[in-house]
Amino acid sequence: MDNIDRFSNFRRQSKKGILVIYLNILYKAFKAFWFLLFLFIQKFSKISESTLLYIYIGVFALLVFLLIRAFLIFKNFQFKIENKHFILQKGILKKTHTSIPFDRIQNINFKQNIIQQIIDVHEVNIETAGSSKAEISIKALSFKEASALKQAITIFDEMTTTANIKTEEKPLLQIGFAALMKVSFTENHLQSLLLLFAVLLGFYQQISDLFDGLGKQDLLDNYITENASSLENNVILIIGFLIILSVIAVLSSTVRVVLRHFNLTVFVKNNALEIYQGFTTKKSVILKKDKVQHITISQNPIKKKFGISFINFKQAISGKVENKKDKVIKIVGCQLSQVAVIKNLLFPSENLEGIHKNFSTSYYRVRLYLRGALMLFILNTLLYVVIQSNQVLWINTVLIPVFILSIEVSFKKRYYLFNKELLLVGQGTIETHKTYLPFFKVQHVKLKQTIFQAKNNVADVIFQTASGKIKIPCIQLEKAQQIYNYTLFKVETSQKSWM
Amino acid sequence: MTDSFQNIAVTSFPDIIKIDFKSISNKYLKVILIHVFLVFLILFVALLITDYSGVFKILENTIWLYLIVFIVFIAVVAIKSIGFKKMKYVVREKDISYKKGVFFRSLTTVPFNRIQHIEIDEGPVSRFFNLVSLSVFTAGDSSDDLKISGLLKEEAQQIKEFISNKIDG
Repeated sequence: MDNIDRFSNFRRQSKKGILVIYLNILYKAFKAFWFLLFLFIQKFSKISESTLLYIYIGVFALLVFLLIRAFLIFKNFQFKIENKHFILQKGILKKTHTSIPFDRIQNINFKQNIIQQIIDVHEVNIETAGSSKAEISIKALSFKEASALKQAITIFDEMTTTANIKTEEKPLLQIGFAALMKVSFTENHLQSLLLLFAVLLGFYQQISDLFDGLGKQDLLDNYITENASSLENNVILIIGFLIILSVIAVLSSTVRVVLRHFNLTVFVKNNALEIYQGFTTKKSVILKKDKVQHITISQNPIKKKFGISFINFKQAISGKVENKKDKVIKIVGCQLSQVAVIKNLLFPSENLEGIHKNFSTSYYRVRLYLRGALMLFILNTLLYVVIQSNQVLWINTVLIPVFILSIEVSFKKRYYLFNKELLLVGQGTIETHKTYLPFFKVQHVKLKQTIFQAKNNVADVIFQTASGKIKIPCIQLEKAQQIYNYTLFKVETSQKSWM
Repeated sequence: MTDSFQNIAVTSFPDIIKIDFKSISNKYLKVILIHVFLVFLILFVALLITDYSGVFKILENTIWLYLIVFIVFIAVVAIKSIGFKKMKYVVREKDISYKKGVFFRSLTTVPFNRIQHIEIDEGPVSRFFNLVSLSVFTAGDSSDDLKISGLLKEEAQQIKEFISNKIDG
């Protein structure tokens, strides 16, 4: 019980925390004002010495001010554990008092960026379902304190009397560098490329804002259009560009995967999964079994060859789901047996093998084709308007087969099956996603029909969970109604808490 | 054990389809129509102003424009009236359901033991008819949880009370 005593009075984080907070503030300040620095360096020779002196003094004063601020933030940051609540007081002028009951805590994460690694402290984030950002972020704790805090909270929460569960077991899953390489080569490279583009675009915008301020926007634009026009004239260049692009795509996904998932290790402990990963920023997440709403197991053809897949764990979130990508917890590079272990942990003794798959009716195929046709039409019109030549319509000889193929494949991959407790929905085109949802985690159900669907006697069933929607499109009305009734029955008779 | 779902006796649990749904109070149709009328009044006035100030010279004969607006008005009134007849709700012992829609039909059921909170709203026009709307919210992305408009105020209060008791009990 010494853990509880340790946190029963208000206490501050480790003194090294001042450094972490200070550097954090500096980083934020730098991010906001880096173009000023850029300007300064550029115009360095033109600034008179007296002004320079003022600038130096100003910068120095700012640095000192921020240091004092960091110290005050540290000084006013206090936390304790009381009566199964985690209590935090912070704020220099505006005091904030936060109190979180243990059973509302979703995860406790450890994080270490490079600086925190060097000075050997851990950042502890405590998350609830409420907000997108971590509700409580303690920037610096020694490992001993951090794990004591974690233990104090989790033991309370689980209500288990077996306090000494801390036996280091063999990890369920440990992914070495070679395996990680396999994972990164089989990633969705198109997605990585798009991500990279997004980053570059943001960067370009910042740069062009800067040039705009300097009145040199034309220069940059000219530079780009010049290069672009020479590109248009040269097919070889375009092909080379494409090759470079794909190399970049592969490289960027490799870098992304290695940075995020380096040395991925997963432990199964009690009722939780502990996940450790990261290269520059080390992260550890404790995923409580009961807080997981549904999981998705995904594969693509190449991953299938290697026998690996990844698992997404979805937890309860409030508000719009799309904006909270980083709250999705992902384990990459799982072997089939490991997937089975995790599935068994989350949904014990649920066997979905051998249950025959139910597919959507052919109305769904019609709908997919109609949507595809509409998309093709819009694409063609756009291309025609932009390029203004009939030649461009030849692209359809490639596009149409691709569309038909992907529609047929995704129609075939769309299925659902279930036993008494668990629903499995399969979907995907290139990738295959299998979503597992226990019926009692459903928040509400919806039956949807357009007037055409009503004529064809088919309906969509939509399950709203605390972590997003799951949809079964276009199944026969009778079947839809059966599932609808059954889900309600399961939810209303369930005694288990959904989180 | 369970080879397929069909083996589980379907008839052993309550069937939402066979339940008689209650219609919304007829007064709410008036509220809907007043709303439609107000919107089209604003549209009509805007059209009148643009016509007489001569900002737009699209059509030689602006009477067509008025006619189109009028036809749309009639169509909207017709659709809303049919749509109103389709709005139905039912409160069962353990859940609350609502269905609506002519072209896009939907049926939503929220079990009481998943409800986070309940809200009763009064619109300016609805208040005149002593009508309110009742919304229930669940966890997660609650943007399209259940909302029943046009309930009598007393009835909505009763439902709210009923659900609150069920949740706490």
